[in-house]
Amino acid sequence: MTPPPAMSVAAMMRPPTQAPESPANRDLLAVMGRPSLYYWLLLIFLVVFVHAVGAVWLFQVYKGLGIAGYKHPVFWGVYIVTFVFWVGIAHAGTLISAILYLFRSKWRNAINRSAEAMTVFAVLTAAQFLGIHVGRIWKSYFILPYPNQRGLWVNFKSPLVWDTFAISTYATISILFLFVGLIPDIAIARDRSTGWRRLLYTALSFGWVGTAKQWKAFNRAVLHLSGLATPLVLSVHSVVSWDFAMSIVPTWHSTIFAPYFVAGAIFSGFAMVLTVMIPVRRIFALEAYITEYHLENMARFILLTSLIVGYSYGMEFFMAWYSGSEFERSAWWYRAFGDYWISAWVMISCNAIFPNILWFKWARTNVTILFIVSVLVNIGMWFERYVIIVIGLSHEFNPDVWNHYLPSLPELTILAGSFAFFAMFFVIFIKLFPVVAIAEVKELVIHEKAHHGGGAVAHGEMH
Amino acid sequence: MPELDRREFLKLVGVGAGAAAAAGCSERVEHLIPYVVQPEVMTPGIAIYYASTCRECPAACGLHVRTREGRPVKLEGNPEHPVSKGSLCARGQVSIGRTYHPDRYTTPMSRGADGKLAPVSWEEAIRTLADKLRQGAAGAALLGGDPGPTASQVLDRWVAAVGASGRVVYEPFAQESLREAVKTLFGVESEPVFDLSQADLVLSFGSDFMETGPSPNEHMRQLAEARDVRAKEHGGARFVYLGPRLSMTASNADEWIPSKPGTEGILALAVLRAAMDSGLTADRTALGGLLDGVDAARAAARTGVDAKTIQRLGAAVARAKSLVALPPTAGLSSRRASATAAAVLLLDHAAGAVARTVLLPAETERTKRPSYHELLALVDAMKSGKVSVLLVHDANPVHSMPPGTGFREALAKVPFLVSFAPIKDETSEQAHLVLPDLTPLESWGDASPRPGVRSLLQPTIRPLYGTRAMVDVLLEAGRSLGDEVAAKLPPGNMRSILETAWAGEDFRKALARGGSFAASLPTHEHVALSSAVAKLEVSEPLLEGEGDYVLLAHPSPLLGDGRSAALPWMQEVPDPVTKVTWNSWVELSHATARRLGVEIGDVLALKTAAGTLEVQAFPRGGIRDDVVAVAVGQGHTVGWYASHEMEGRPGEARGVNVIAALPAAVDEAGGRAWFTTKVQLAKTGRSEPFAVSQTQDNQRDRSIGAALPLAALAAGAAAPAEAVPAAPEHGARGGEESAYQEEIHVPFDPVLDAAQNSPYRWGMTIDVDRCTGCSACVAACYIENNSPIVGEDQVRWGRLMAWLRIERWVGDGVVEDIPGWPRERNHEELGKVDIRHTPMMCQQCGAAPCEPVCPVFATYHNPEGLNGMVYNRCIGTRYCSNNCPYKVRRFNWYDFSLENWPKPLHLMLNPDVTVRAQGVMEKCTYCTQRIEIARQPAKDQKRLIRDGEVITACAQACPTQAITFGNLKDPESNVSKKRQEPVRGYVALQGLNTRPATLYLAKVVRGPVEG
Repeated sequence: MTPPPAMSVAAMMRPPTQAPESPANRDLLAVMGRPSLYYWLLLIFLVVFVHAVGAVWLFQVYKGLGIAGYKHPVFWGVYIVTFVFWVGIAHAGTLISAILYLFRSKWRNAINRSAEAMTVFAVLTAAQFLGIHVGRIWKSYFILPYPNQRGLWVNFKSPLVWDTFAISTYATISILFLFVGLIPDIAIARDRSTGWRRLLYTALSFGWVGTAKQWKAFNRAVLHLSGLATPLVLSVHSVVSWDFAMSIVPTWHSTIFAPYFVAGAIFSGFAMVLTVMIPVRRIFALEAYITEYHLENMARFILLTSLIVGYSYGMEFFMAWYSGSEFERSAWWYRAFGDYWISAWVMISCNAIFPNILWFKWARTNVTILFIVSVLVNIGMWFERYVIIVIGLSHEFNPDVWNHYLPSLPELTILAGSFAFFAMFFVIFIKLFPVVAIAEVKELVIHEKAHHGGGAVAHGEMH
Repeated sequence: MPELDRREFLKLVGVGAGAAAAAGCSERVEHLIPYVVQPEVMTPGIAIYYASTCRECPAACGLHVRTREGRPVKLEGNPEHPVSKGSLCARGQVSIGRTYHPDRYTTPMSRGADGKLAPVSWEEAIRTLADKLRQGAAGAALLGGDPGPTASQVLDRWVAAVGASGRVVYEPFAQESLREAVKTLFGVESEPVFDLSQADLVLSFGSDFMETGPSPNEHMRQLAEARDVRAKEHGGARFVYLGPRLSMTASNADEWIPSKPGTEGILALAVLRAAMDSGLTADRTALGGLLDGVDAARAAARTGVDAKTIQRLGAAVARAKSLVALPPTAGLSSRRASATAAAVLLLDHAAGAVARTVLLPAETERTKRPSYHELLALVDAMKSGKVSVLLVHDANPVHSMPPGTGFREALAKVPFLVSFAPIKDETSEQAHLVLPDLTPLESWGDASPRPGVRSLLQPTIRPLYGTRAMVDVLLEAGRSLGDEVAAKLPPGNMRSILETAWAGEDFRKALARGGSFAASLPTHEHVALSSAVAKLEVSEPLLEGEGDYVLLAHPSPLLGDGRSAALPWMQEVPDPVTKVTWNSWVELSHATARRLGVEIGDVLALKTAAGTLEVQAFPRGGIRDDVVAVAVGQGHTVGWYASHEMEGRPGEARGVNVIAALPAAVDEAGGRAWFTTKVQLAKTGRSEPFAVSQTQDNQRDRSIGAALPLAALAAGAAAPAEAVPAAPEHGARGGEESAYQEEIHVPFDPVLDAAQNSPYRWGMTIDVDRCTGCSACVAACYIENNSPIVGEDQVRWGRLMAWLRIERWVGDGVVEDIPGWPRERNHEELGKVDIRHTPMMCQQCGAAPCEPVCPVFATYHNPEGLNGMVYNRCIGTRYCSNNCPYKVRRFNWYDFSLENWPKPLHLMLNPDVTVRAQGVMEKCTYCTQRIEIARQPAKDQKRLIRDGEVITACAQACPTQAITFGNLKDPESNVSKKRQEPVRGYVALQGLNTRPATLYLAKVVRGPVEG
């Protein structure tokens, strides 16, 4: 990420207010303009809904987890399913920001901001579910290793402890990543705002004026953060997968889980970026910046990861047969044809069958199809976790207790609440910060101009 | 902020912190108050045991009541008592809850002008009773259960003294037919006592002796002794069950012959004939013409048992050295019950069993016995208005009398009904005056289940409320009638009367022992067949009504005649056969269910001439196609637990009372007949899911409940090297041996799973061959470990809190059964019996999967090899349960312990065991509190805990001693010796290499008896 070469250092040193307006600045900052009535209605709805769900959760804390649909022996249900789902969603951001950055895939610039923001919000949402899930949230700090007078210490053998570290590390890095990347754009916003916004942006932009020295430091920071975040993309979901793979539960205890979960996470992450960005792009008229080219590239990623996920499904079934273990075979039969067969087939068709339409370029460039596929993938990936967790637990070693779990109303409410929680942050974010990385898009425009004399941002013009 | 300086800031912080601290102190302050004058025998924290007697059923097992700081907290069997010899059944275990029952009457109650019961003082209550007696004692009658010999005599004297019309002893399952049969056959008054311990062939002609009948606990123990594979050759006694339904008793048989119900007598005679044909030498002349015309072929047509089987049984009887044939128990007692019982006893007699294994006690003292025809006479008197005061104690006739007797109508004509019920029931709620009796744990009394056994009851707690012993109340009311009456009454109160009655014995010594027990049973040694035998009319049962099916109303193993339905544990402990909780069900065969188009849980209408019942269907393989069965005991409309009151629906019956559909029928001797009616079935279209604890009875060849044939046992005993089960023949490898399999199948030494310097490694063996499924251990575990009960709805969610459950597996199971596919839930087959009752609790694995996954060390491995469970550390991630292959962990979804324990049930909580809070995991820890109790004296005496000093609650309760607990590091311990069984020993889910400390001993399949 070199500074835009078209701008001289002297030009950048000029007081920013005097800078001529660029179309990119104008278009992208317009998103942050005065909110419409619909925006307010949406935001109010989301805030109220999130609080209502919070009340449901408080009731659960007061009354007990019995109000959830847990049935012996299915002791993990929708809460853990949703936790893994949101952790998975959180993967696209870092992948796009860090790995694609290191690979110098410039097309990422148009989507990285929203993907990073999604990452942070998804991790925050996911983290809620660890608290919602446990029986005694008021004692859940026992899971943190810190010196204390009770002589308690955590069990470092437990994947749940690893999980705590993985999630908190990931949350820290992704917040840093998002924030550092925002600094130049906040500076642009600062220069165009007044009142409380100006105060906020002034504080958050850390005195950014765009000197060469600042750009150098900025680039170095992004590079280092990318280097730090890249292993996290692989490790976080590997650790989450070990919550399952380290157990002895048939259908959980499997060496394939780490790559399978990482692929699934990227799969669902990209799908969520599409699901969110396609409407945002339409509503705020950002077609010029988030072009079909970007969407198509994401579609390719979705196709690739869909194939990996589909392969994993097939492999798991094969291994169940090949292992010769009665427990595995029975569990897999049950998965496909048992009480939960609908969930299993929703998972297989949404994740491994429908995305195959993306082999075709016309499908990849059709926004409607992309949107539908992305939503299906999101549904499919939620069901994947449901299938793994719930079906695995309901059909284990001892047939005496085999049972059929179904989510209860409070669980589904809290699941819906998680989407509202996520959307609430995103909706607020859209109006507070540039949803597309302005500086990086400009960079992209210049490259496009340099190589193709126009290109993706055809009508973009730089000053 | 310029206006806030440092001092101001600090002040505010101080005030704020103080306010926060004050707000945080809202928890109620509780005080532990020491004794001002400490009772001499009592040390806080140390339990005191009192010997007493269980009154939950007529068997009268001996008790050791464990009390802590003046409160009974646990009932255990009295090892010195000849009936139970140290064990105690499920009903006995939970009968402790009667004392602390929320339904108890706390004061006398009198029905006021508004028609409601209102508390009155004892003085007023007794004065009211005395007034009624003064107005017309001749119209007074006593009705109730057997209160024990001493109280019985007092009541008789009271009846005579006040001039009451009489006293009727009522016992719904009394089986007067048995006495009558003995009288017919041998001309003596005696109730036969069956001794199964010496038998080598047990034929149960529809006798569910493990569930009901004279002494279930004792019979289970005796049969286990007779079938001890270690002590007896060739697997010990063979046990054949002939009856229409695979009951809990039948599930323990070697062979189940599904004979037509009610034809047991015909079958017995046919077997007798076949035995004589096979060389049984018996005096045929004494039988007259009884066996003329009896042959296997004809009997086969009448009983549904093929002729070959009858001949084979006959040959087995002829060969048997020591036979016990048991006549039908209450469920199958038909209008021909006496003749049926006589035919079965005749078989016993012919085989030389009488006076050897079928004992006829010589009765010296006669106390009043249950008599159904006296009861019917009383009902007639009530109907005709001759009864002005009816005093009911220890009986609930409103619930347990069939509507055809007109008891309810007759009761409505009684102007004054007095109830002595300590806990409210249907009868007491209709009473005009309730004079609450003490519960057995608060009472003085005695019991004599058979001659030579005199068992004592002593109070183990001061009466919890202002209630009084029935005998004392009656005496006081009698004395207040005048000096003349008082002179005829015995002086003193129940206690002094009891001491007088026991004057011949050392009372204190008897109290310490629990009674006085003769070395042997005084019996009629030489009995001859009377000439009446020849006139015995053994025929089919006479069934009333129309319908394609016959209705079998059998006693429930957990609820008895319904009196245990008030105890929540008996509702929540699953039925040993169907695993249904908190409800009634009708058992019908799969074929019947298909014909009617019903599935499990569909509500069926059962129509008999006497009434209609609507009850959920439970289709199973273990019942004849022409029989439907409903257990007696449910259908109460009164009671917090017995009815739906706890769910906020007072007055609504829980389950159905099958008695409401039974005609008022009696047998030849006037005793009560239960198997009397045909029934029509109809679909109602409604459906309601059962709350069952076990969802599958197919173990899919996973060796949770394992069995092996007798031949394998004999072969293995000869060459005990091969303890390792064969590699499973499955998989892509086609069952070939691999290093992996070898690694996990290498026998391990569980001793290694304790710390090296620890002298203990606690372990257990569970003998599946001895387990009968009776669930005494389950009930004991509930009481010992303060396990909450959760109610029907939560059981439906699988949220039972039992740490110990009995899994009931049908055979090895079928792997091909596609899981989840629509299928029959019950894999039993008619005429086949291979049920493995497998107690399942925490296995205390050496390599426990639950331990590494707990993030906070709430479950951990302790130095003595136990999986400890620290409730206070648990944050409730529930990962441990996911990773437990046995699924024995329970989670506190709600604050069960608070919400489901109405006061004063909390008083019976075991102070040695933590009451678990909402949101924490819990499980069995081998009664670790009992280990700790034994540790202290051992430490004081500078020795190790001795073998037998620690007995877990489950092992203590077990009537067959299927469970053995002890230290595996001590090679001389009982448990270590029991583990030396290389052929039968297995661990559940062996391939997982969890290294459990619990070793199961496989059931031995002895096979059908040989001809």
